[in-house]
Amino acid sequence: MPDREVLDVDILIVGAGPAGLAAALRLAQLQKAAGGEPLSIAVLEKGREPGAHALSGAVLDLSALRDLIPDYADRQAPVDTRVTDDEVHLLTAGRAWRLPFTPPPLANHGCALISLSAFVAWLATQVEAEGIDLFSGFGGAELLWDGHVVTGVRTGDRGLDRQRQPTAAFEPGVDIRATLTIICDGVRGNLTKVLVQRLGLDRDRLPQVYALGIKELWETPDTRLAPGRVIHTMGYPLRLHEFGGAFLYGLPGNQISMGLVTGLDYHDPLFDPHQAFQRLKQHPFVSTLLDGGSLVKYGAKALPEGGWHAIPRLASDGVLIAGDAGGFVNSLRLKGIHLAMRSGMLAAETAFEAVRAGDVSAARLARYQDAIDRSAIRTELYPVRNVHQAFGHGLAAGVAFAGLSMLTGGWWLRDPMPATAGHERTATLADFYGSAAETAVARRSAPKYDRRLTFDRVTGVHHSGTHHREDAPSHLLVHDLEICRTRCAVEYANPCTRFCPAHVYEMVDDGQGGRRLQINASNCVHCKTCDIMDPYQIIDWVPPEGGDGPQYDGM
Amino acid sequence: MILLVADTSDDLPTPASLEALAAARQIDPAVTAVVLGRDTAAAADAAARLPVTEIIRLEHPALGTYTPDGTVAELAGLVGSLAPSHVVLPHTYQARDFVPRLAARLAAPLLTECTGIATVEGRVTFARPIFQGKVVADIVLDGPAPHIVTVQIGAFRADDLPTTTAPAPIRQVPAAITDADIRQVVEPPFRDAQQEVDLSTATRIVAVGRGVKDETQLAMVRQLATALGAEIAASRPLCDAGWLPMDRQIGSSGQTVAPQLYIALGISGAIQHIVGMKGAKTIVAVNTDADAPIFEIADYGIVGDLFDVVPALVAALEAR
Repeated sequence: MPDREVLDVDILIVGAGPAGLAAALRLAQLQKAAGGEPLSIAVLEKGREPGAHALSGAVLDLSALRDLIPDYADRQAPVDTRVTDDEVHLLTAGRAWRLPFTPPPLANHGCALISLSAFVAWLATQVEAEGIDLFSGFGGAELLWDGHVVTGVRTGDRGLDRQRQPTAAFEPGVDIRATLTIICDGVRGNLTKVLVQRLGLDRDRLPQVYALGIKELWETPDTRLAPGRVIHTMGYPLRLHEFGGAFLYGLPGNQISMGLVTGLDYHDPLFDPHQAFQRLKQHPFVSTLLDGGSLVKYGAKALPEGGWHAIPRLASDGVLIAGDAGGFVNSLRLKGIHLAMRSGMLAAETAFEAVRAGDVSAARLARYQDAIDRSAIRTELYPVRNVHQAFGHGLAAGVAFAGLSMLTGGWWLRDPMPATAGHERTATLADFYGSAAETAVARRSAPKYDRRLTFDRVTGVHHSGTHHREDAPSHLLVHDLEICRTRCAVEYANPCTRFCPAHVYEMVDDGQGGRRLQINASNCVHCKTCDIMDPYQIIDWVPPEGGDGPQYDGM
Repeated sequence: MILLVADTSDDLPTPASLEALAAARQIDPAVTAVVLGRDTAAAADAAARLPVTEIIRLEHPALGTYTPDGTVAELAGLVGSLAPSHVVLPHTYQARDFVPRLAARLAAPLLTECTGIATVEGRVTFARPIFQGKVVADIVLDGPAPHIVTVQIGAFRADDLPTTTAPAPIRQVPAAITDADIRQVVEPPFRDAQQEVDLSTATRIVAVGRGVKDETQLAMVRQLATALGAEIAASRPLCDAGWLPMDRQIGSSGQTVAPQLYIALGISGAIQHIVGMKGAKTIVAVNTDADAPIFEIADYGIVGDLFDVVPALVAALEAR
């Protein structure tokens, strides 16, 4: 078996998303300004290339980009489409009402409508032009430790078979040892999860709450939404006690970017976000826009919505956390890319000074938190710190509170307003349906898809460009399969088969008169919903072989 | 003149080579075919019955085992002396390995995975899928001859090749390589590669999907495959469950096939499966669900239970 290779760098950034790339670019800028012996910097990315795993709506607030790359327009940043119109509609089962005014948080004038995948790919070219090493196709499998100090990351092994035995193509992962590691592994990142748990970085913080975004890119025979037109909806297909809403964005080339964001804190164990998304497309308000068009691309991704009070401690010995991994999303404005970038930039500034000073202790790195407290991130997130919790009490309470909080500066009688982790809010069948539980489970009919407007999950997976080597080990670790066929089947009727938007989880005949969980790991679109939402918290999402996963170009 | 690099297996031109010949003839019916190997006598005799103007035998002990160096050196020399307008090859794993080198050696333009050929305003235009097959690009090759083209398997039909009355003349061209030209040392195949089944050459395939519920049904399907002289294959769930080896999986994460006859048993027709078999000439689908998407692309569809349909098919075949 070949020896494990070791690579030593000064600063390692894990994840080439908006946060990681902004951090890398800021480091290069600081380096240039300071002169002297250059620090060695490396960026790891699990996708085949930067942007391959990046998915968002997306409306980009340009403020962070403007600060990071003032001449972004000359450098051909793919941010040409400006938002021209903002509309908010309330949907009921058959009708739509346009709100007479656009609530201020949803005013997107001056923002850009982008493909996040294209934007990230462009950002990566800027980073590489600075001579920074960007290793695509290498996921961070585990953290390297020296006691409680993070000393780098081990990348995943390649060429293992399903039983984790080496095949002829086996290559062990590489140990990348770093003086300082900046973790930007995205929403529910696998390294962040371990780091936060091991060091208790979420102590005295609210539990993070998430939502699941399912997105499709459509191409229509003529212009249905002018490029730059932005529509958000509330209400149908979600019920009043379910958090979320839909987006419909007009893009050039008769394309429509559309999707449904569903709070991963719903009560009904039988709720199915993918089904809700299909019902959204069948609503006359949406179906008339898509009619005669074709599905170009499909994807899904979770997003952190807990806000300010759910951000964990972001620094410890030898390590910083930035971007979605830290939970930098403004769920009221439905935006996080600019916050992710800004957190990456601030992390870079702290990191640069700390490594130069030869002190990467938690005490020194705490300056990152101070920088965030003084930055536009806090200015934006602090006033809406309680809004998502208020939506936990239903749509009406949420909207009322969102309005009220503009007057009180976000203050409320209880501040922080308490929150519960989403998976704990899923009720059991017995609790939600009472004596009608059995009927509710039995009454569900197999969904029908017309294959014009509505598609099954597997067809969606095809349109996500997802690829994983079929005989690779499963990268979804379910720690107790017995629970699936016994307790979970009875208590929740296996919600993983519904909340996964990629048909990874399936209950199949076990050949002995019972059912067992089958994991179709190669379908996984890396959305992380299962890791978040499984009621028993026995699913661990770990990175598959580097380079495998979705191909989100255009998303 | 076109030079076709013919692949042979058991001294017969492979189906992929016949498809490449059909493609080559759309550019120019004057096709010269070359067979390479340690001893090409039998393969050349078989290839001479194809509608080609000449067969060239390129023989050398060092060509007995494939190496990119040997193949590229010999073909580059041959192309230099024949000066064909195009060099056409089937897009096999081997071609993927050596053709880029050949193109670089000859400083010739290379178009891979051609799926269609047309003459537009007097210029030969090649179709090739781009962006994972979402778009088909029409491409005209520029620059001096030769132009190198690899042909996607299943994209051209070899059944319409004209029959010939007399075999084509066979010419042996002396090979010029020496052992020193070959830098690669070929090791025995990996364990993984040894068991590989190449379904792309099968003329008939019986494929099974989730509709098959147990091993006895699989035995029944094997009977049908035997009666038809067909290879057996499967959609992902069955290979995933270990009922059939993974190298018999058809679809986007398995093999792409284009047999004459494809019988899909209990396969619903997920798009991942369809992309691997839609090039089949005749598709027969058996499924209990009349709404299954497989029926949208099937030439013949039977809505029914495999237990009823398959034994009836076997009985009918055996009665003939």
